[in-house]
Parts: sequence; structure tokens; C-alpha cells
Amino acid sequence: MQWLDAIIQGILLGGMYAQYALGMALMFGVMRIVNIAHGDVMILLSLIAVSLAGVLPVGNIGLIVVIVPIAVAIGWALQTFILNRVVGADPLPSLIATFGLSIALQNLMLEIWSADTRSLPNSGIASESFQIGSIYVGLLPVIVLVCAFVLTGGLDAVMRYTRFGRGLRAAAADTEAAAMTGVDPKRIYATATAIAVGILGLAAVFAALRATVSPSDGSAQLIYAFEAVIIGGMGSIWGAFLGSMVLGIAQAIGLRIDPGLGILFGHLVFLLVLATRPEGIMARKK
Amino acid sequence: METIKHMRVARATTSSRIAMTFGIMVLFALVAMPWWATSGNIRWAIELCCYIAIAQMWNLLAGYAGLVSVGQQAFIGVAGYLLFVLAQNFGVNPFVAVFLSVIAPAVLAVPTYLLLRRLDGPYFAIGTWVVAEAVRLATSNIDYVNAGAGMTLRVMTQYSQHEREVAFVLLCAVLLLATIGGSYWLLRSRHGLALTAMRDNPVAAASQGVNVGRLRFCIFVAAAVGTGLAGAIYYMAQLRITPGAGFDPFWASMSIFIVMVGGIGSIEGAIIGALIYFFADRLFGEFGSAYLIVLGLLTLVIALYARGGVWGLLQKLGDHPWFPVRRKLIVEDKA
Repeated sequence: MQWLDAIIQGILLGGMYAQYALGMALMFGVMRIVNIAHGDVMILLSLIAVSLAGVLPVGNIGLIVVIVPIAVAIGWALQTFILNRVVGADPLPSLIATFGLSIALQNLMLEIWSADTRSLPNSGIASESFQIGSIYVGLLPVIVLVCAFVLTGGLDAVMRYTRFGRGLRAAAADTEAAAMTGVDPKRIYATATAIAVGILGLAAVFAALRATVSPSDGSAQLIYAFEAVIIGGMGSIWGAFLGSMVLGIAQAIGLRIDPGLGILFGHLVFLLVLATRPEGIMARKK
Repeated sequence: METIKHMRVARATTSSRIAMTFGIMVLFALVAMPWWATSGNIRWAIELCCYIAIAQMWNLLAGYAGLVSVGQQAFIGVAGYLLFVLAQNFGVNPFVAVFLSVIAPAVLAVPTYLLLRRLDGPYFAIGTWVVAEAVRLATSNIDYVNAGAGMTLRVMTQYSQHEREVAFVLLCAVLLLATIGGSYWLLRSRHGLALTAMRDNPVAAASQGVNVGRLRFCIFVAAAVGTGLAGAIYYMAQLRITPGAGFDPFWASMSIFIVMVGGIGSIEGAIIGALIYFFADRLFGEFGSAYLIVLGLLTLVIALYARGGVWGLLQKLGDHPWFPVRRKLIVEDKA
């Protein structure tokens, strides 16, 4: 029963990770860009949400309605002013640029919000739970998981069926050929990053509701998102979702064995996948 | 029809001769430090030497082998820990142990590379970070090395301060010779040509017969050893190591900053960057996070607008290499 409980808690934790990982899978798969500041942007949005909650009495739903557009704007600006200048065959410039941005963002947040951990005021939802058999399941983590599931399905459908999705896949396959057929890669990229960061906006509100955030937490979130994407298989949206589940379960089981081992177990599963199935669990057959 | 009668291949330039003379003078001054400098200055010199060495190794990885790593702290930490374990728990002379401690990074680098080589570019970078984090967390859970509390190098008390200082400056001189000298030797050798070709275009280099995979593997292990030696010396001077410090991702940030600001893909760049970082740290370190915001933004701006860094800008003013790796054909017209 204890292990079943660990697996269920792991899946719920995976729901949170899936929200971090989706945006990364999109940017990774499409632009071959790794945004090192991914986690820091999420933390920034969380902290903005916490500060806004103190001023605007809009409730959690209202907060999401306010934060997501801010996130979309940040994503668009990030792509237009920074990433579009460094995207290209050589991965080094984008890596270094976002690395610098990450350090600057982390310390900027330290200046503004100090190193304290913060969270959104507990509004009841965060502590409600229900019981299945002898296992308690929190309501909020279930909502997070359902949102992650819906987002994954939605994003996958957008990639498959819309004009934007086709343009995105074309630009990912061959930027120049896509440009010749009338796709504007830079605009497509800006939209993709806006969507990716927009999802992070939602994740940010949930993260601040579920637990605490502090300015230096970003790197851990970046690593979890990255691990989920690689475990799942690069370029696969559902892969990122499944990878998040695997990572969440690994961490939850590690945590049951010894409280110091939770995150380490996640890393070990990642390395194990890399050693045995480097193309990821959901990779398309070649 | 004129035939060229006299020609020779030159590599040294006036600037390189000056730089070499200056470099040797600096090395001698460094070794003589215990007799002319204060203990505080010696500590600074040790720190600066470690920065230069770590940055130089990162430059070799990212600038030449195309392997961007943000996990070099893994090698710093394991080398530091092996030194502390050998000296403290096994009673090995610490000045012997410091050289033995490079075994740890070498042993760690092999499986790390074999696992991560499947990831390219940015994926590789974050992969190295995961490895470093995994090693840090594992170390924090091993009671033998005092888990999260870290270790102290008590055996150093058997040496007088002067003895320690003499040993440290000698170690630093060896470190600089191994990392800067080693890089220079490597770049001037046959492999250097292959490395430069790889830096410019790995696919084209492979088509010219360069075994890119094997060369990358060798560079990765060599850089791990160099970085590890610097880490061992650094924590030996600190007398204390904890998982949080030894495996601090800040080591990676520092390497990236130094090499990008100084100028990636050149030995001179890493040295200039290390000097800039070291003095900036002394002058502005007290501003804490505000200073780090500027460092981060500077790295961003350089990645966007001035990829060559300071050395790249200096090169535009005139070609005066300190460590020339190019050969020049000089035709002497006697007629």
C-alpha cells in the first residue's frame, strides 16, 4: 500500500513537472533552443503572482487570468529580442545568452523579493483532499494533473492539425525551405515561445499554490523539465508528459526509501534511460 | 619564371616572444611569492590560478571540442573530496594526495562522456549539470565523507604557514604549466590542427580524417583532470570542503563568464577573462546580487553582439598573439 501511495503521489507530482516540461518540449523540439532561464522565468512568474495576490483580490482563477497574458508577453519578448538573434545551427550562443539571462534573473529576483520562500495564501483548495481506499489524495495536485493532461492534449492537437502547427513543424524540419513556402520562421518561433512561457504562467500559479517558491529554485525546475523531456523522447509532446510521470514516480519512490534520496533517484532514472534507451520512451520508430 | 629560393616557416612573433618572457617572469614571481608577498596576497594568487586553470579547461571543451559543459563542478568536487579522504582518512601526504586526487575526475569523466555523448549541443550541457547534481546529492548522503556537513583538512596543521605557502605556490605553478602550457602544447601539436578544424566545423573536420568522437572523448577526460587538479588545490587551500561548495554550479557560471568575456576559442581570452573576473570580484563583490545581475547581463550581451569577447576586440586592433598557433610562410627574396 505504501508503494501504491508513492506511485500515486509520484504521478501527481509528475503533473506539476509536466507543466514545466511542455514548454521546454515545444522550444526544444521546434527551435533546438534550450532556454537555461526556463525555470527562472517560471519562478519570476510565481513571485509576480504572489505579489499580485497581495494587491488584487481576484482569487486564484483571476490570478491565472492575469498571469498567463503576462507570461505570453514575456515569452514573445524573450524570443523577439533575444532568442531570434541567437537561434541557428550553432547551439553555443543561445545557450550562453540564456545562461547569462538566468544568472541576471535569479539575482534580480533576489534584489526584489529577497531570498525568502513565498507562497500564495492558502485558499482552502490547497489543503482539501479526498480518500480512495486508504490513500489520501490532495484536490489541488489532481487539478494540476488534469490541467497538465488537457494542456498536453491541446498542444499535441495544435501541433498536428492547425496551420500554425504545420508551420511550426515545417520550420523545425528546415527553416529555409519553410521560409520559401511562406512561413515566417521568426514569427512562428515568437508564437511558440509565447505559448511555452504562457504554459509556464499557469504552472507558476499552481507551483505557488502547491508549495513555496524562492528566487534560487529555478535551476531545479529547469533540470526536472529537461529530464522529463529527455526521458520521454525529444520532440514528442506526449513524451514530455509521460517523462514527467516517470520522473515524478522515481522521485516519490526515492523519497519513501530515504528523504535525502528523492531528487537523486530522479537523476538516476534519467541517467538510466540515457544509458539504455537514449531516444526516450516515446520516440518515434526510425 | 622565378623560383622561390629561400623560405622558412615562422610561428613565433614579436608579441609572442614578449608574452613568453613575461609569462616566465610571472611564473618565477609566483614561485617566489612566499618571500616577498603577504599571506593575503598569496591566497589571492592561489584563487586566481585556480580560476585561470578551470576557465582554460572550459575553453578547451567549449571553444575547441564543441562540448559545452555546465557540470565541471562535478570534477572539482570529486577531486577535492578524494584529496580530503586520502589525506585525512588514509594519512597520505596531502601534497602527494593532491596529484593522486585527479584519478577521481578521470574515472568519473569516462562514464559521463559515454552516457552524454548521445546528447548533442544544449542537451549535452544540461546533461553534465544533471551528472554534477547527482554526484553532489550522492556525496551529501555518504556518511563516510561526513554527508552534508563536509570535511576539514586537519592534517595541514603539521606544516608551518611558510611551508604551506611554498608548497601552494609551487602547486599553482605546476597547475598553470599543466593547463595553459598543456593547452598550448596540444594546440601546436598535430591534434591542435585537428582541434582547430573541429572548432570551425566538426563535420568538415571529420571528412578530412579527424576522428572527432575520439578527440572529443580525450579532451573531455583531459579537461576533467585539469579542472579536478585546480579544484583539489583550491579546496586544499580552503582547508574545508562541503558538497554545497565543492559541487556549486557557480563554478560553471564562473567558467562561462570568464571565457565568454575574455574571448572563447583562444588561450589568451581565458587568461584575460580570469583577470577581469578576479578584479571585478574584488572591486564589486560587495554589491552581491547587483554585481551578479551585471555579470549575467554582460554574458548575455556578449553572446548577442560580441562573440569574440575582449580578446576578439583586441584582435581587431592588430594581430598580436601571445600564444601563436598559426604558422606563417616567410619568403626571403634575396635577389
